[in-house]
Parts: sequence; C-alpha cells; structure tokens
Amino acid sequence: MNDSPASGVGNGKPRVLAIVPAYNEAGSLPTLIADLKSHYPQYDVAVINDGSTDDTAAAARRSGARLVSLPCNLGIGGAVQTGFRIARDEGYDVAVQVDGDGQHPADQVHLVVNALLETGSDIAIGSRFLGGDGYRSTLSRRMGISFFSRWLSAICHTRITDATSGFRAINRRAIELLAGDYAEDYPEVEAVLVAHRAGLRICEVPVQMAARTTGSSSIGGLRSASYMVKVSLAVLMASLRKRRPAR
Amino acid sequence: MQAYGHALVFITTLIVFLFVLWLVRRRAIGERFAILWLLIALLLLVASSVGYPYLFVIAKFVGVPYPPSALFFLCIAGLTLLIIELFAWVSKLNDRTRVLTQELAMLHERFDREVSRTEP
Repeated sequence: MNDSPASGVGNGKPRVLAIVPAYNEAGSLPTLIADLKSHYPQYDVAVINDGSTDDTAAAARRSGARLVSLPCNLGIGGAVQTGFRIARDEGYDVAVQVDGDGQHPADQVHLVVNALLETGSDIAIGSRFLGGDGYRSTLSRRMGISFFSRWLSAICHTRITDATSGFRAINRRAIELLAGDYAEDYPEVEAVLVAHRAGLRICEVPVQMAARTTGSSSIGGLRSASYMVKVSLAVLMASLRKRRPAR
Repeated sequence: MQAYGHALVFITTLIVFLFVLWLVRRRAIGERFAILWLLIALLLLVASSVGYPYLFVIAKFVGVPYPPSALFFLCIAGLTLLIIELFAWVSKLNDRTRVLTQELAMLHERFDREVSRTEP
C-alpha cells in the first residue's frame, strides 16, 4: 500500500506515525494536532476516533490530521491497536502514541522517538518519574503505578518506573507484534510483558507530562481499584499464555 | 424415586432432547454447539431411562448415597461444559468484531481519501 499521505519516503529517515487515540476529546484535539504538526512536520499524524459522541471527528478533520473513525467504541486498547495496524500495513518504521487528552505534550514526543532510535530498543516508554519535573498524578495513582512498575521491572530485568504510561514509541518489530496482540481495556502494562516475552527490548526515557486539560480520565474513584485488580489479573494471565516470538 | 417422579424426569429429558433435535434440524443451533447439546441431551435421556438402574449401581460404587443426585451431578457437569464452551465462543466473536471494527474504520478512511482525490 503506497497511497498513504506519505512523508519522508526514501530519504533514509525513519517514517514516523503519531497515533492519537481520542474518545470525546474535541476540546483538546485542535491544540494538540496543531502543536504536533508545527513541531514535527516530518511525522504523519493519525487520529483514531474511538466512537466519540462529541465533535472529535470534526475537530480532527479541521486540524488536517488523518482521521480514522471506529464505528463503535473499542476502548483505548482497540483504538491504539488500530494505529499499530495502520503503521504495519503502510510500512512505518516507528509508531508513537500521543494521547488525545493533552497529557502528552507535543514538545516531548521527539524525546521518546529519539530514545527508541538511539538506544536501538524495540519499545521506548516516556516516564514521568525519571528525573525532570511536570505532572506526576495523585499519590494513590503513583502508588499503583509504582506497584506495576516494580512488578514489570522484576519480570523484565529492566528498570521500569512508569509501567502505565501510554506515551510510547515502538519500532517495526514491536509494531508487528502489537498490531496482532494488544489488550483491550488497560493495555499498557500487559503490552510490556507481551513484548518482553517475545524477546523485545524495552527502555525508558524521562519526559514531562501535563495534567489533562479537558474531558475526564477513564480511570477514577472506584475504577482505580478495579483497574488494579484487572491489570494484575491480566498480567498473570499474560504470563500463562503461550509465548509468541516476534518475527 | 417413585415411578411417578421417574416418569416426570424422563418426559422432561425427552422433551429437551426432541427440542434440541428440532433446533438442529432447523439449523437454529450452529454445529459447534449442536454436537455438545445433543450429547448432553442423549446422556440425560439414557441416564433417566434404560440407564437408570445402572445409575444406582454406579452411584453406589462411587459413593453417592442418594442416586438421583448423580443425575443432578451429570446435569450440572454438562451445563458447566456448555457454559465454558459458550465463553470461549463469545471471546472469539469479540476478537473478531474488534478486528472487523478496526478494518472497517481503516477501509472507510482509505475510501474517503480516494473519493476526495477523484472528486475535487
């Protein structure tokens, strides 16, 4: 497939697709897309509209980004995976996830992408806990994040400090793996495990995040507890599953 | 069990069996579940009719003090098997719809792009 709105084909530079999953983010999308486009004209930007009920689609279209609208809400995992599939089918070298709610500032995206390319890792995770400052979430959430980070660090023998961060860049190898195997609801933690089990290398890079500007988080209150249980079980089950080595 | 109660059990399982058979003939149940349902219905039918005396023997052998409860056990085991099968199937359907949803969205985007290219 060569009909992508391609940029940078054939000049030796890696082709990067910025995946912006968005569920009812009409408020924050225009600024985010404009920032992404001005900072990284060499990237392609694809908004994955996850069955939003507000004007997300129109906002994305006006901003000039590629818009892929899922006919029904699949959840963050299904939306991001759609981006991975596009990256896989259209031969992108790098896919970077930038959440549509404005938590991942555009001026930090290259840090994650560069970390991926410079370290030769398969997955680079933007961590808000590795030095630097910026928004670090509430105490209870930090405890949850730290729990999963320690768990994953122990399994993967790599220091992971921000296991739930969705601010990630992945290379071709990881794109092909995760396009076919990505969890539905809260995929971040599980994906690290899936990647590790397939023999992929994971690194972290310090980034700053922002508190969301508009909309509301998908995880809050009672759901935090359910998040902890669900993700813990998912990690345990992922450990049980048969290994699928990456090609 | 009294003959009266026994007849009730037999007639009920017979109705279930015939109902399954009817559904299978009408293709209202897919092959995947039809085989399981038929097997379970047949097992119950046998266990509640010609197999009933043997059920007593087997029940006594494995140490079930009240033989009809062996019938319950068979029912519950069969239904559990069916439910697990159903969960596996629902999971598979869920995976398929997810892939279809994603592919549909991707195709739609390509289509829109083609249209806007040919119709300026």
